Amino acid sequence: MIRYIIFRMFAAIPTLLLISVLIFFIIQLPPGDYFETYIAELQAQGETVDPNKIAYLKHEYGFDKPIIEQYGLWVLGMLHGDFGYSFEYEMPVTQVIGSRLYLTILISTVTIIFTWLVAFPIGIYSAVRQYSWGDYGLTFLGLLGLATPNFLLALILMYLANIWFGVSIGHLMDAKYLGQPMSWGKFWSIAEHMVIPVIVIGTSGTAAMIRRLRANLLDELQKQYVVTARAKGVPSLKALVKYPLRMALNFFIADIGGILPSVISGAVVVSIVLSLETTGPLLIRALQSQDMYLAGSFLMFLAALTVAGVLISDIALALLDPRIRLQAGRRK
Amino acid sequence: MSGRRWSRRSFSKLAVSVVSLPLLPGLGAAAAEEPPDLAPGVVAGDMPPLAERLPRNPRVVDMAPLHKVEGRYGGTLRMIMAEDKDIRMMTVYSYARLVVFDLDLNLVPDILEKFEVEEGRIFTLHLREGHRWSDGHPFTVEDFRYCWEDVSLNKELSRGGPSQQMLVEGKPPIFEVIDETTVRYAWEKPNPLFLPSLAGGSPNYIFMPAHYLKQFHKKYADPEKLAELIASHRMRDWVALHTVMARQYRPENPDLPTLEPWANTTAPPAERFTFRRNPYFHRVDGSGRQLPYIPTVYLSMSSADIIPAKTGAGESDLQGRYLRFDNYTFLRQAEKQHPIHVDLWRDGTGSEVAFLPNLNANDKIWRGVFRDVRFRRALSLAINRHEINQQFYFGLAREAANSVLPGSPLYKRSYDEAWAAFDPDQANRLLDHMKLKKGGDGIRLLPDGRRAELVVEFAGNVEQSDIMELVREYWGDIGIKVFQRSLNLEVMRRRFLAGDTLISMWGGLSVGLATADLPPEELAPVSSAQGNWPKWGQYTETMGKAGEPVDLPEAQELLDLYHAWRVSSTTAERRGIWQMMLSIFTDQVFTIGTVNSVNQPVVINSRLRNVPKEGVYSFAPGAYFGIYMPDTFWYDEAGNKAQ
Repeated sequence: MIRYIIFRMFAAIPTLLLISVLIFFIIQLPPGDYFETYIAELQAQGETVDPNKIAYLKHEYGFDKPIIEQYGLWVLGMLHGDFGYSFEYEMPVTQVIGSRLYLTILISTVTIIFTWLVAFPIGIYSAVRQYSWGDYGLTFLGLLGLATPNFLLALILMYLANIWFGVSIGHLMDAKYLGQPMSWGKFWSIAEHMVIPVIVIGTSGTAAMIRRLRANLLDELQKQYVVTARAKGVPSLKALVKYPLRMALNFFIADIGGILPSVISGAVVVSIVLSLETTGPLLIRALQSQDMYLAGSFLMFLAALTVAGVLISDIALALLDPRIRLQAGRRK
Repeated sequence: MSGRRWSRRSFSKLAVSVVSLPLLPGLGAAAAEEPPDLAPGVVAGDMPPLAERLPRNPRVVDMAPLHKVEGRYGGTLRMIMAEDKDIRMMTVYSYARLVVFDLDLNLVPDILEKFEVEEGRIFTLHLREGHRWSDGHPFTVEDFRYCWEDVSLNKELSRGGPSQQMLVEGKPPIFEVIDETTVRYAWEKPNPLFLPSLAGGSPNYIFMPAHYLKQFHKKYADPEKLAELIASHRMRDWVALHTVMARQYRPENPDLPTLEPWANTTAPPAERFTFRRNPYFHRVDGSGRQLPYIPTVYLSMSSADIIPAKTGAGESDLQGRYLRFDNYTFLRQAEKQHPIHVDLWRDGTGSEVAFLPNLNANDKIWRGVFRDVRFRRALSLAINRHEINQQFYFGLAREAANSVLPGSPLYKRSYDEAWAAFDPDQANRLLDHMKLKKGGDGIRLLPDGRRAELVVEFAGNVEQSDIMELVREYWGDIGIKVFQRSLNLEVMRRRFLAGDTLISMWGGLSVGLATADLPPEELAPVSSAQGNWPKWGQYTETMGKAGEPVDLPEAQELLDLYHAWRVSSTTAERRGIWQMMLSIFTDQVFTIGTVNSVNQPVVINSRLRNVPKEGVYSFAPGAYFGIYMPDTFWYDEAGNKAQ
């Protein structure tokens, strides 16, 4: 087991290196660079740009160097914890992302918990009462959440919340709490503003989880040991939770690999529509304007989290289900 | 350094006083001389009294001729922006400049007490005695000297040398400090660009807070301290540090002293920037009360898409940016629920949308066709501007060629009407004369036998693509088949410069309210960003290092006239040049205009006074709200709904 973990950690290094190459060159792919975008934008508003100034900026940020050298500087910098410079914000990338990270983690965590709270009971109920009206009805609701475009739902809910409850539009708190220390009022305001994004992002995830839990649990429920347990008079709740549910949770552990990066990136589209101060809109904006170090570093960060997440879920799976560990061990 | 620390302490006390002291009207009356938010600080001795903070001769803003009334202190002004870098809009709106445009578009001194111009080439600028930066440090000629000698002429700080406005035929001025309050810039030849550039929405800064910035400058700073500062700000070198700390247009550095009415107190990134009154601001009202009336301005960040919704929910007190005419009905409805009202201002561009045939297109045949003035005129004549106006702007816009607006002193009716009537017959005749014969399907054939299929590129918003739909039909009627293609702004810019674009859709002249003293650069090929002749523009811009020399006599004439303007010495001379250029530009239809003076919704808090009911919304000249002086806006707490 220890050997396996060490091996996996070393394997992560070339993986991340390869990812960094891909990220850097994909970001470079569209013709032009940040400064051309910047000029075009200013000119569209009637502002003028001094070509001298642009030439100076290009030199200052190393744009006149060959692309390989730019890449090398970027990767070496990251090893030292220097993620480069954001042109758009004109400050180090770490500062730009850092301030938004907390709210992103908050909102994503609450959403994930919301998804679990909704999906688990429904999934279990649907499996136990297969083909009942409840099964159909709840599954339908879940699929409806999956099928409705998130941005549309977000817009409608936002409008209604403003009209009915007077919740200010967008953002994660009322403007008056910005920059204020935490207080009950501020806490309440954040909670109020989180309802919509959590519902919108959460509903889209529940359907998939309901269906997978239902399918896995159905498989388990038909197995011999469950039938035997029932026949021996084990209480039905215990006969459901003790083993079948545990076995049906494999997929759930395997999902952890994906959860880590999604906690950080947040739901991008919804965040843009609702104007949430999370990292998602930041990334999109950075990609659009070719703010390459900001975009690249953030993608790199996500990649590292994915690699770590997959490792964690592999280890957790091995702990949870001995069959998986045996197979891995045999191959080594 | 000590001055700076002192100012920071006083600012934090000032913030406390705003929170702890409700702005009672009684208090304002009792301490009529001091803004109530500063009064406690003055009493406590943190700040000198008003008389010592103001310059000896402050700028007195006489409200009556401006149709304004003297106001009261208090309140906060909330505005919404979309990106952190929009913080520069605060510099635009607050519009304190060495010289400014007044409402009649004359250049008048503002930060300067007065200025003199000799032969259009020697500029003597007089500062106000006793004028101070927002941190209380004197604003002196040293700030000009530092900016010119230690920044503009410093090879490291200004790699490309001084900005274009400071050069005449490539030569910089001779700078002189005359006495304690006087500086002089003298060129060999006239520099008509100089004064307007100082008054721009994005001004040409020729002064900097030297006392503050010297700590970042290699020439003045203690090397050890400087190295420490570079490390603590995580900058590469002192050049980067100085550049970032000295940014005046984009006031992101809360420590940077300013001369504007409000100073930023929030370091980015932030969801909301808080601007507070500059206690040393140089303008007073007729009763000697120091401006601005409103002590605090909030600039909140939001995504551009929900700004109209947020504005309609009463979350902005003054909003024009990111609102469009199609938000108007929604905003009007919101008037019923929230204490706001919507006014319609006039957009200041020469044409809401204009078509730019690319005279530098790679396709030889099309290029030849575009260069034939008959073709450009035919395209213009085929457009039914009246229908566009009715369809999209309720008939409230003006149907005209891409030219200056009636508010401009250069306006002539003939420019508006140049080839702008709806006359498809004449358009057809012009094309027939060009021997572009119609094929069997009604589509004309190019000289090489290809069908005349024209791809129009635009950096799509919905409005443009709707207008494009109509124009597609108009041009179809005269035998030109049109396809539309929506692109990113920057991709489009790159494509027309590369010669790939045939014709693009863009905004009209950005200086629709031009005066003779503003540069006529949009009428001549001077920049690679001009979609109708990008390569010629690039040639001028790079002084022949890239692009192509102009090879169309009419365009060359415009360029010559522009160069003549650049060294003209009198306004009368400049007016003559402008008129000639406008008449060539419109007669040659180098750009095809549609409608202008489109309505711009401006949402204003109902209690906010001194905001004009009708205004012109334009960046240059005018700085959007800037020319209407937001420092004179005030809240009428007692009053009912405005107007």
